[in-house]
Amino acid sequence: MAVGVHKLVTAAEAVARFVTPGAVVGMGGQNINRCPMALVHEVARQGLGDLAVVGCNLSVPLDILVACGLVARTEHGSGNLERYGTLFAWRRAAEAGSIEVRDHSHLAMATRFAAGAIGVPFMPTRSLLGTDVLRGLIDLDIARLMDFDGQPIVLMRALTPDVSLIHVHQADPLGNAVIEGVTSHEVDMVRASRATIISAEEIVPPGSLGERPERVTISEAYVSAVVHQPYGAYPTSAYRRYDFAEDEIKAYQAVARAGGAEFDHWIRRYVLEPERFDDYLDLRDPDAVRRLAMSSSMRSML
Amino acid sequence: MRALPREILVVEGARQIRDGDVVIVGTGLPLLAATFAQRTHAPQARLVIESGVVFPRVVPTPISVVDPRLMNGASRHGSLFEALGGLVQRGLVQTGFLGGAQIDRYANINSTWVAGKRLPGSGGANDIASHCATVVILTDHERRRFPQRCDYVTSPGFLDGPGHRAKAGLPALKVKVITDLCVMEATDSALRVTGLMPGATLDAVRNNTGFTPEAAETLGTVMPPSAAELKLLREVLDPACVYFPERKNQ
Repeated sequence: MAVGVHKLVTAAEAVARFVTPGAVVGMGGQNINRCPMALVHEVARQGLGDLAVVGCNLSVPLDILVACGLVARTEHGSGNLERYGTLFAWRRAAEAGSIEVRDHSHLAMATRFAAGAIGVPFMPTRSLLGTDVLRGLIDLDIARLMDFDGQPIVLMRALTPDVSLIHVHQADPLGNAVIEGVTSHEVDMVRASRATIISAEEIVPPGSLGERPERVTISEAYVSAVVHQPYGAYPTSAYRRYDFAEDEIKAYQAVARAGGAEFDHWIRRYVLEPERFDDYLDLRDPDAVRRLAMSSSMRSML
Repeated sequence: MRALPREILVVEGARQIRDGDVVIVGTGLPLLAATFAQRTHAPQARLVIESGVVFPRVVPTPISVVDPRLMNGASRHGSLFEALGGLVQRGLVQTGFLGGAQIDRYANINSTWVAGKRLPGSGGANDIASHCATVVILTDHERRRFPQRCDYVTSPGFLDGPGHRAKAGLPALKVKVITDLCVMEATDSALRVTGLMPGATLDAVRNNTGFTPEAAETLGTVMPPSAAELKLLREVLDPACVYFPERKNQ
């Protein structure tokens, strides 16, 4: 991947260049935190289909891509929104058999990314032993059950996504990125990926992160494109910047649960028709009242 | 003030945490139980959250493992690999709290598929059940939740019975299931009723369980929370009735 090169582009340019139909897409974020919503909306708008979406906890971004008919397969630890329920579009597709679901545990997924991140073909874990999760993964030749010093051990095949999508707090135009709060599975997933698109709340001048390189969560070595997008995780949260928008997540869940024409309309109106993510934000939150409330809610917790 | 069955369940869950324990909790009732323990008898209990939060002081009332309310006052904000690999698989977390759509007589858990219905999947549950020495399961007591055998084994209890866990390569485990009717326990065996919730009977437990659990010779009754404990649970930890919607109707 290019080092020392300016990679600042629009979401449309980044997605057109690095996401291809049939790609294995590493999905950043977890649940209601730091999901790469702006980048996922762009993938949906460009209609890039037949995707395999991989990650640990896959939430709204996966559900939107499934609703748009763009997902052929998921590989993950879980698909849900905890208190806000299941992923309705994903669940319907899984139950109908229109997408393939490859179940892992979170650690099994993280182990596969860790193997990919250091360029080895597999990495062992002692999770999954004795369960149907392991049986399923052995059948797919993703896991192998081995003996090491007389003890059973599971080898997980490395997972190397074609492209990963993540949203971060700060990035410079070269792709050095800072994440605040937890990083879930994202750092190893990015290191394992052939390409990575980062959207960032804030773009800082080249060299400014160089004063404190230990603060850099992800090096430019792994980053293909950088997109500036404030509130790029909306309606999910960005630690220290803004809380998640509960009412907006509930609103999505309500239409996703209903499905049918109402849901199709929502997806068209709020994901496919807006030209840019900022247009979607303004549609859903006209005077930025909710965004300000999200920020002030976060400040009150710090 | 009388405690609701699920409130007693949460307080009994909290009692499984000793001061100084390191425990891993998801969200929902387990997190509430752990927060309750931290604010009562176990102020030094340390929590690990699968998303990478190590030893936070929780701000009420988080709804997700990545809720910023869960990141407060932590030792470190790390990764999932660090929490589930570096702490749980590494053996530094004694107790894990889990839920599940199905729990069978050998304490195996299904959170993946039930009768053609798609559920969220393992998340960190398989990792917790594989590596923690003690697993506490908090769940409503319904017959369909307690089948003879899970449709799909997501997280290992004692698999097909005594000795099978060791044979699969898994370490020893103690399981305690706490429901709104009873407490059941198992160590390399089938689940056995060891205590009843106030007002519950063994008949009620058996009528609401898909397998026939054996019972201890003497069954104790779970102690309900004190007035002060109930006040903490209701007014401080869940003032908006997020976890106990049934309280709104009181």
